[in-house]
Amino acid sequence: MGSRANPSLTQTNWDLIRDAASGSTTAKASLEAITRRSWPAIYAFIRASGRSHEEATDLTQGFLCDVFLSRHLLERADRDRGRFRTLLLGSVRNYLADMHRRRTATTRMPKGGVAAIEVMAEHGLEPAEHASGSPERAFHSRFVAGMIRAAAERLQRELLAEGDEASWEIFRLRVLQAATEGVAVGYDEIAPRFGLEKGTCAARLLVAKRRFATILMDELRATVEDPGDVADEVQQLMALLAHRPTP
Amino acid sequence: MSTEPHITDNQGGTPSPTRSGSGSAPSHLGDTLRWAFELDASPTLAGATWLTREIVPGARDPFDAIVATTTTLDALEQLKGAYKMLRTAGTTTAERSLAARLYAATIAAALVRHGKLITSQRGEALLRAFTDLESDATMPEAIRSIASQALTAARRT
Repeated sequence: MGSRANPSLTQTNWDLIRDAASGSTTAKASLEAITRRSWPAIYAFIRASGRSHEEATDLTQGFLCDVFLSRHLLERADRDRGRFRTLLLGSVRNYLADMHRRRTATTRMPKGGVAAIEVMAEHGLEPAEHASGSPERAFHSRFVAGMIRAAAERLQRELLAEGDEASWEIFRLRVLQAATEGVAVGYDEIAPRFGLEKGTCAARLLVAKRRFATILMDELRATVEDPGDVADEVQQLMALLAHRPTP
Repeated sequence: MSTEPHITDNQGGTPSPTRSGSGSAPSHLGDTLRWAFELDASPTLAGATWLTREIVPGARDPFDAIVATTTTLDALEQLKGAYKMLRTAGTTTAERSLAARLYAATIAAALVRHGKLITSQRGEALLRAFTDLESDATMPEAIRSIASQALTAARRT
């Protein structure tokens, strides 16, 4: 469901970048889609580099306008195909080192702005959320969190479209809600809600988990040019996120 | 969705939750990736093992959980329901076949360990399931032994 109606759901980041740079009729939608996918990691990097919430928000908007809209990133993307994550991180680093762009950001803002930027204020970013840890760690963390969220949302769309609300709810209650609210919901509580045996609930969760993994793999595939790099990208991200800073 | 999963691993079962905002959130995200992509040396057994640990936490594998004297009748019934669904929802023929064997094994274990028949199957169908399990050389010896004992018990009833 949804992916046919909205091509951005199935396009890789590279597809979106090329389309955004092409000036096609879907260029604006592609630019918004890639912006929407990217800004949390950009903000996290800037915030963790010591900027206040307000400064980080301002700089993130500046980066999106200057680097995305001015097509600097799009031009580099043609030359430096590979991992989108690496390209984005390098671009943000360079941007912060070139602070004068910030002063011109507002003048380059297009009429109506970039839709994704408006979402930032509604996203509930807490000023202290990224105050600790290295900027790179914050960036990778947000990058992965964005993929996990996108994968969960797609799993929800697909299961509900198939009329399998029970599997989605089991996944939500047993995995997502537990993770975000700190309360593990047991099968004793879940099973009666759907008139299922506890073992059947567990089996449905296994099926949903496998599907979630497949979707997450799709999300990762969208960030690399060569599909053969996906497994290596998974290992790299796990290693980057597993590293604990010295106390 | 307005929140992000911060999930830690739990011996291969559903990740244990922690409150968001913890200082080790990136590690939790790494654990979530590991959880989603966890692999096993034996892909056929991986799904059944994960499923088993959802019901019997700490179990080494499905065989271990089924033959353990500490596994309750309720847990065996839950396992039976889980393997029953895996018989049809398994991703490969090998996984579905294994689930069918495990399904029969839970019935055998419930009969031998707890003296309860947890299926509506009776007569020839039940005896055939136990006989097939007992003679399956791919099954661990402990499972085949349970099947043998169940066969004896079923013939008496």
